[in-house]
Amino acid sequence: MAGIKLSAVKKIYPGAAEPAVKGVDLDIQDGEFVVLVGPSGCGKSTLLRMIAGLETVSDGEIAIGDKVVNQMEPAERDIAMVFQNYALYPHMSVRQNMSYGLKNRKMPKAEIARRIDEAAAVLEITPYLDRKPRALSGGQRQRVAMGRAIVRDPAAFLFDEPLSNLDAKLRLHMRGEIKQLHQRLKTTSVYVTHDQLEAMTLADRLVVLNHGRIEQVGRPLDLYRRPASTFVAGFLGAPAMNLIEAEVSGGALMLAGTALARGLQAEAGRVTAGIRPEALRLRPAPGGNFRLDYVEELGGSRIVHGHIGAQRIIAQTDLAQELSAEMHAELPLEELHLFHATEGHRLSMGVSQPAAADPQLVGA
Amino acid sequence: MVENRPFLTFLAHAVLILGVAFVALPVWIAFVASTHDQSTFLSGSMPMWPGDNIWETYGTILGTGAPVPGAPPLTLMLKNSLVMALIITVGKIAISILSAFAIVYFRFPGRVLIFCLIFVTLMLPVEVRIMPTFKVVADLGMLNSYAGLSIPLIASATATFLFRQFFLTIPEELVEAARIDGAGPMKFFRDMVLPLSQTNIAALFVILFIYGWNQYLWPMLITTDEKFYTVVMGIKRMSDVADSDPQWNFVMGSAMLAMLPPVLVVIFMQRLFVKGLVEQEK
Repeated sequence: MAGIKLSAVKKIYPGAAEPAVKGVDLDIQDGEFVVLVGPSGCGKSTLLRMIAGLETVSDGEIAIGDKVVNQMEPAERDIAMVFQNYALYPHMSVRQNMSYGLKNRKMPKAEIARRIDEAAAVLEITPYLDRKPRALSGGQRQRVAMGRAIVRDPAAFLFDEPLSNLDAKLRLHMRGEIKQLHQRLKTTSVYVTHDQLEAMTLADRLVVLNHGRIEQVGRPLDLYRRPASTFVAGFLGAPAMNLIEAEVSGGALMLAGTALARGLQAEAGRVTAGIRPEALRLRPAPGGNFRLDYVEELGGSRIVHGHIGAQRIIAQTDLAQELSAEMHAELPLEELHLFHATEGHRLSMGVSQPAAADPQLVGA
Repeated sequence: MVENRPFLTFLAHAVLILGVAFVALPVWIAFVASTHDQSTFLSGSMPMWPGDNIWETYGTILGTGAPVPGAPPLTLMLKNSLVMALIITVGKIAISILSAFAIVYFRFPGRVLIFCLIFVTLMLPVEVRIMPTFKVVADLGMLNSYAGLSIPLIASATATFLFRQFFLTIPEELVEAARIDGAGPMKFFRDMVLPLSQTNIAALFVILFIYGWNQYLWPMLITTDEKFYTVVMGIKRMSDVADSDPQWNFVMGSAMLAMLPPVLVVIFMQRLFVKGLVEQEK
């Protein structure tokens, strides 16, 4: 077990107009579960593959534990990787798949057998040990792929979108299993995904990447509560945060002539306002600023689509909420996020906003 | 298509039966001819059922050889053909799988150029380069030897190309997983590429064995010693006699026997081939 330290890591593909990764610094603690998340093309997979040693590092330094690994082969880096397409060896049985890496490291047979039995028991794949991968379902293959990583007992696990080939239900289930597995093994893990929900639920620490740069690093709830830029704000949370063009004047957030929130201590001028759909307070009011367009039922709650002035806004309400064609929309000040209108970075509003609290377990 | 029309069924069967007859009838006639004696064949009317000369015909050609100058016993020629075809087949597969492996998995200067060169030689069959090849083989002193019979035919652009195409379908992630599992290039070749190519190897074995077995022009050119005659050229020699009628019963008998090994290869390899197809998953 070991931490991973990235210092000014860059990746420049020959012939590419701009670097795929533009100088990333990241310090991953021993035992931490870090999720790299971002839209496709943001460099998250490239970054992971550089840690794995499958891509060369153009500039900067990667250290696993206290060894700089830039020049090491993947096999020498003491990491194990779980691939999106499982990458199981199709002509080998599950047992052979899991033992292949250990055999190549000249581990004694008895030790290999012990580790495989142990990992198979944890992952509940013992009955399939002698089957070939093609006789397994997607979820079982994913378990085998994880088993292959676990038996290695590496310094770090690297996950490259491991759940994206599974159907929604299985994905949810495997997500839980990965979380439990990490709690049990406490092995440093780096996990790449483009699914913000997966990222939020799994991460100890979340790294949001955009265009080869880190946008923000932090605990998932901190990022959700205090996104550092419009990019992070729009990326985390479903339904996504409303990002609307508005104006601050006289300590109020003005939108289409009505005040959405009051009491701001921010500089007057144009801003981008970020409003979580669940933060918007609606009440039926004839002639109100919010015009209702249509409603989506989620079962436990509703998503209300409408507009204020010319800008589309969505709100998430509970079922008790009364709806009408014209409503009054308002926002508690502490739920408002302000961003620079053109640069997109977060603006201070002069109100203290509570940092995210850790989930409190009763009796823990 | 799920259709049940008696007429169509009848038509389909009729066409198939006709097709089988077209292919099988000449073989049947060849077999019948080999079971009669010389005179029956020359009398003008060809019998449709086997005669009683079968043991004599096959005994003669296998034992002492047909009573024609330059026709050694068939067992020797069959052996020569087999050795030649096997060396060509195994050699072709070994060389082409290795060169395809190099082209697909290694980045070296001139990689594309080399692949293009190999690809271009696809267009040059043995016949086109037969004079220079003969000269080289003769200068190396390989006339009248198994090496001379087989080595010039071993290089194969087709097989290299087929293996290359197959290797390109092996997912990149599999290669990366193997790298992380500590498999070097040759280990990867042995543990991944070879087992995964099983089906392709079986298919190529069939095709290349028949190619090697049917070689005619090349063995004809470079063998003057009866000890190295192959069965295909032997048949030609038997039917090509100068001053008398060819002894068709011996010729046809030889043809029947010459057909056997390729048939056996197809039957045996077909199983492996189908098994590979069924087991493979993509």
